[in-house]
Amino acid sequence: MLKLEKTHLQIGFMPLTDAAPLVVARERGLFERFGLQVELKKQNSWATLRDKLQAGMLDAAQMLAPMPLASSLGLGGIKAELITPFVLSFNGNGITLSERLYQQICQVSHADPAVPPLPLPADLIGKVALARREAGQGPLRFATVFPYSCHYYQLCHWLQSGGVQIGRDVAIQVIPPTSMVAALHEGIIEGYCVGGPWNAKAVRSGLGVTVVTSCDIWPDSPEKVLGLTADWQERHPNTTLALLGALQQACQWLESVANRFEAARILTRSEYLNADLDVVAPALLGSCLVHKDLGPRSVPAYNRFCAMGDDGSNQPKIAYARNLLAQMERVGHISPGQASEELAFRVYRPDLYSQMRDSLLADHASARQPGSGVMPGK
Amino acid sequence: MSENVAVAEKPLEILLIDDDLDRASAFRSALDRSRYRLSHLVSSRTSLLKEVDKLKPDIIVIDIESPDRDILESLSTLSNFNPKPVVMFCEQEDTGLINQSVQSGVSAYVVGEVSSARVRSILDAAVARFNQYQSLKQELSETKRKLDSRRLVDKAKSLLMQKKAMSEEQAFNSIRKMAMDTGQRMEDVARTLITLISTLDN
Repeated sequence: MLKLEKTHLQIGFMPLTDAAPLVVARERGLFERFGLQVELKKQNSWATLRDKLQAGMLDAAQMLAPMPLASSLGLGGIKAELITPFVLSFNGNGITLSERLYQQICQVSHADPAVPPLPLPADLIGKVALARREAGQGPLRFATVFPYSCHYYQLCHWLQSGGVQIGRDVAIQVIPPTSMVAALHEGIIEGYCVGGPWNAKAVRSGLGVTVVTSCDIWPDSPEKVLGLTADWQERHPNTTLALLGALQQACQWLESVANRFEAARILTRSEYLNADLDVVAPALLGSCLVHKDLGPRSVPAYNRFCAMGDDGSNQPKIAYARNLLAQMERVGHISPGQASEELAFRVYRPDLYSQMRDSLLADHASARQPGSGVMPGK
Repeated sequence: MSENVAVAEKPLEILLIDDDLDRASAFRSALDRSRYRLSHLVSSRTSLLKEVDKLKPDIIVIDIESPDRDILESLSTLSNFNPKPVVMFCEQEDTGLINQSVQSGVSAYVVGEVSSARVRSILDAAVARFNQYQSLKQELSETKRKLDSRRLVDKAKSLLMQKKAMSEEQAFNSIRKMAMDTGQRMEDVARTLITLISTLDN
C-alpha cells in the first residue's frame, strides 16, 4: 500500500463536456477508493486556471493539451515547469458556422443546403473568402477558446487544408466558450472551433451548423490532459499515482455507452456544466448535431476518454508532445529551436503513467481479492 | 515621484471589465477628479476586442475570475495590439497567486475594498511598473539586435580578410565605407556581402 503524502486535493476544471473523467471520479467515489478527498474547483478562464495551478492554489488541473508545454516555455503568463502524466480526453471539438455563412457556402458551391457535404471541405470557406475579397470586404471572423489550444491549431490546420490563408481570408480571435453562441448570434464572428457542449448549443438554438469535428481533422488526438507542476509531482509522488489510478478507472467507466448517458446527466448539474441534457448528451453518445432541420451525424469517436486501439490507455505519449510542438511551430507560436525532444520528455511523462499501471492497479486488484489486504482509503 | 508628475498631465483611459456593479461604481467614484478616465464593461460580453480597439485604453482592469481573461491573454499572441498594463481584482486569500503573477511584470492587483487613495496609488504603481518592464524589454531586444548586428559584421569581416587578403582594419573600413556610400546600415551591408561571397563560392 502506498503512503499518500497528501489526501485532500483541489482540482481545477472548466465546465466542458470533457471534464467528465474528473466529475465521474468524484461522483462515483473513485477518488475515495484511492484514499483521496477531492474538491473540484470550477474555473472561468484557462489563464486563471493556469495561474492558480502555477501558484499552488490548485493541486492539479484539467488543461488543454498544449498548455503544459506552453507554460514550460513561458508563453503567456510566467514560465513555470508543468508536466502531464495523464491524458483526460481525446477529440471532442467541433467547428460550427453561422447559418448565414453556411447559406453563402451553399450558394457559391451550388450545394443543396439540405445535403451538406460532411465533413465540410475547407476550400468552400476559401470560396466565400475570395468573394468577400473581390467585394472589398474584410476577412471572415472566426473564434477559438485560447491561443495555446488544440482548437486553435485544428482550426488553422483545417482552414489551411483548403488553401485558406489565416489573416487574409480568416481572422481568428479568442472568445470564452460561454460567449461563443452569443457572438455567433450577434454577428461578431461567422464561425468557431470549440468543445462540447457549445457546438450542440448553437445547433439546438438554430444559430449554427456544425460542419467538422476535430476527429475529422486529427483522428484520435489528445485534447485535455491532467496538469501538475513538476515540483508538486516531485513532492507528492504517491499521491500522483493514486490520482492517476482514480482517473484511469473513471476513464474506463466512461468507455461504456450506457455509462456515458449517466455521465451526461451528472454533467448537466449546476455545479458542473449547468447545461441542458439535450446539448450535453449527444456528443458523449457519438452523435454530432449538424443543423436544426437536419438529422445528426454519427461520429462514434466524437468524445473519447481512452486512446483508440492498442491498450486503450491514457498514457501521455511523447509522440503527442512532438506533434503539438510541431503545430505550435507551424502557426508561429514558437521558433524552430524551441521545439526540443528534451522539452517533450520533460513535460509529457509516460513514465509516471506506467508507474501507476504497474504499481497501483496491481495493488488495487490484489486488494480486491478476499483476505488480501486493505483497500486504500478504507 | 517625479516621473509620475510628468505623465500626470494627460488623462489615462481605463477599461474596467467587471460584473460586480457595486464594485464598478465604487471604482468609478474612487477615480473621480483624477487623471484616470473610466469606461466600464460587463464581462462575458462578446465585444471586448472591439471595445479595446475603439477605446485604446492605457490600462485594463479586470476581475481575475472573469472569463474574459482569456481574451486579454490572446491580445499579444493572436493580434497586434500593443501590450497594456493589466490590473486585476482579486480575493484577499489569493496572495500566492498575486506573488506569482506579479513576477510576470505586467500586473498589479486590487485586493479587498476599493477606496479612492488606494486605487489611485495601485494604478499609478501599475503604470510605472509596466513602463519600467517595457523599457527593460526594449533594452533587452535592443541589446540582442546589437549583438546580432556585430556578429554579422564580424562574419563579413572575416570573409573579406580570407577572400581578399585584407587586414582586419581594412575589412572593417571597407564595410563602413560601403555602408556610408549606399546609405545603409553596416549590418545590412554585411548581410549582402555574406550572401554575395557565399553565392560566388558555390
